[in-house]
Amino acid sequence: MSRTITIEPVTRIEGHARITLQLGEAGEVEDAKFHLTQFRGFEKFCEGRPYREMPALTARTCGICPVSHVLASNKACDHLLSVSIPPTGEKLRRIINLAQLTQSHALSFFHLSSPDLLLGWDSDPVSRNIFGVMRQDPALAKDGIRLRQIGQTIIETLGGKKIHPTWVVPGGVSEPLVQEKRDAMLKLIPEGLDIAKRTYTFFKTLVPKFKDEAEHFGNQPTMFLSLVSPKGHLEHYDGLIRIKDAQGRIVEDMVPPHEYERLIGEAVEDFSYMKFPYYKPHGYPHGIYRVGPLARLNNVDACGTPYADVALAEFHMLQESGPIASSFHYHYARLVEIIYALEMMDRLLKDPTILDARVRARARSNRSEGIGVSEAPRGILMHHYKIDDEGLINWVNLIIATGHNNLAMNQSIRQVADAYVDGNNLREGMLNRVEAVIRCFDPCLSCASHAFGEMPLAIELRAADGRILDTLRRG
Amino acid sequence: MDGSAPPSAPSSAQVLIIGYGSPIRGDDAIGPLVADRLARDGVPAGVTVLSRHILTAELVADLIERDRVIFLDAAVAGAPGTVRCQRLHPDAHAISTMAHFLDPRELLAWCETLYGRVPETYLVTVTGASFDYDHYRLTPQAEAAIPPMLELIRALMLGTASEQAGCHGGDRPVGQDPAARV
Repeated sequence: MSRTITIEPVTRIEGHARITLQLGEAGEVEDAKFHLTQFRGFEKFCEGRPYREMPALTARTCGICPVSHVLASNKACDHLLSVSIPPTGEKLRRIINLAQLTQSHALSFFHLSSPDLLLGWDSDPVSRNIFGVMRQDPALAKDGIRLRQIGQTIIETLGGKKIHPTWVVPGGVSEPLVQEKRDAMLKLIPEGLDIAKRTYTFFKTLVPKFKDEAEHFGNQPTMFLSLVSPKGHLEHYDGLIRIKDAQGRIVEDMVPPHEYERLIGEAVEDFSYMKFPYYKPHGYPHGIYRVGPLARLNNVDACGTPYADVALAEFHMLQESGPIASSFHYHYARLVEIIYALEMMDRLLKDPTILDARVRARARSNRSEGIGVSEAPRGILMHHYKIDDEGLINWVNLIIATGHNNLAMNQSIRQVADAYVDGNNLREGMLNRVEAVIRCFDPCLSCASHAFGEMPLAIELRAADGRILDTLRRG
Repeated sequence: MDGSAPPSAPSSAQVLIIGYGSPIRGDDAIGPLVADRLARDGVPAGVTVLSRHILTAELVADLIERDRVIFLDAAVAGAPGTVRCQRLHPDAHAISTMAHFLDPRELLAWCETLYGRVPETYLVTVTGASFDYDHYRLTPQAEAAIPPMLELIRALMLGTASEQAGCHGGDRPVGQDPAARV
């Protein structure tokens, strides 16, 4: 008799989702699916709006990474204007993007994933949360708060407010940076870097304890897709698309982001509102790839900042050769990127031209189609708009970082379920591992589906006739 | 009700006022709007005013540095325009499932667990009449509630809120306000 286990909602992620595990006669996992259960439809309701509204509209996609949407949207608008933004405007945009990455990665590591990493996947779920972390390691919890505060303060200093800032505009940024603000932000960097370094050092001591999880948490051969700089260095704001295969061979390189449609197709499945992007030349679903911190570090030749480059070298030592395959190491990559972001912000803020008053190019729309691509914390983010002669949007496509990872997340939960779930002896720790592999990707489902709402958690083991055979509840 | 009167703050008390809510959901904007008005009109020395879309974890670092905290929010319960004041206490069970929005009582629980101290905290709400999409525009009922709300906030700021103001409540639950989570 076939049975289904449902995990709903998946906890400690951004947004709401459900996981179902289909069991066979002997209690083995026959199939695993990650369902995005809610729908908001930004691509449709933005139609008819003036293109200049798009940064503000699409920023509402998410309360965690609005800056990422603001940047990708404004880059699409830059493309519509056919302007090249002033160099200082670009540097300022880079800083706010890196501050966003810092606070978002800090939230993922300290708030969402540290309960599993510090307390263990099998620990009492009642205390396996941020309060359990505070009691176990208060210094780490305080570091998490402070690092997020540093990232958010830089966003607010530049953008005027932490959530949905309107300082980034088509053609650049609305106001130049003044020395007082520059100095205030620079003062924050050393403390942030100290926190990032000691957290990274601490996490390195934990990694050997998770050999089994590293072996089974989405440890799979996929391609990796990210932006890289023209030199092949780590790049979060601009750059060119690089794709490596599972063996580390470069299959696409230095592809202008405006050509993304040549590389990426989008499939749909009837069990999820999240799209399934794939690498077109390999077809669906064989064209599976991963994006985000793991992909970015696997794809680059160097980070380009001193301490992050040391950490990158250590990252590559997690495996004997080739790209780091285990999705568990997204956590590691995230910490390396926080170090990089702080080092790079320091460099940019000390740039002699950073106080230049020329920060914005002004123009009317000069094209009917605009594409903006940047790296959000969770991976490459694409905004693509078409407008009519009046400047009104008549077509939108958003490919969100979490969406790029959809195929990989589905494959990952299958691998974890195969390794840990015994349908005849359902235990909470097994199912927490299934959730935890999703947390490795740090999915932002609000972005990927524009999800909205809340549900209590219920995990049910159901017979094929619908009878509930076993239930676990949290919260 | 805990029955204890709010202690009078010395003139050097450090006070933090946080107005929060969505600016595009009608009366849900009253928290940030009133916070912005307070900041614009000027506040006494030692008082800091923040305007936020949502409450996030890093605010804990701001809370622990203050003697008194006043949250400003919209509410869904009661007659539209009703101004309500509640004393808030830490509640570690008020854990949000969405990490980008925290309940104020959860923030206080973070303070208590991590730093061993909790500021004297109040929540001042106005019951909204409409939470439909509207950008920083309030209904007449919510608009009319602003003067008494400001009066109450100023009294709390100075530690002179009266018993009648209803700020002595113990553990009355804060209404789950879905509109505030937009």
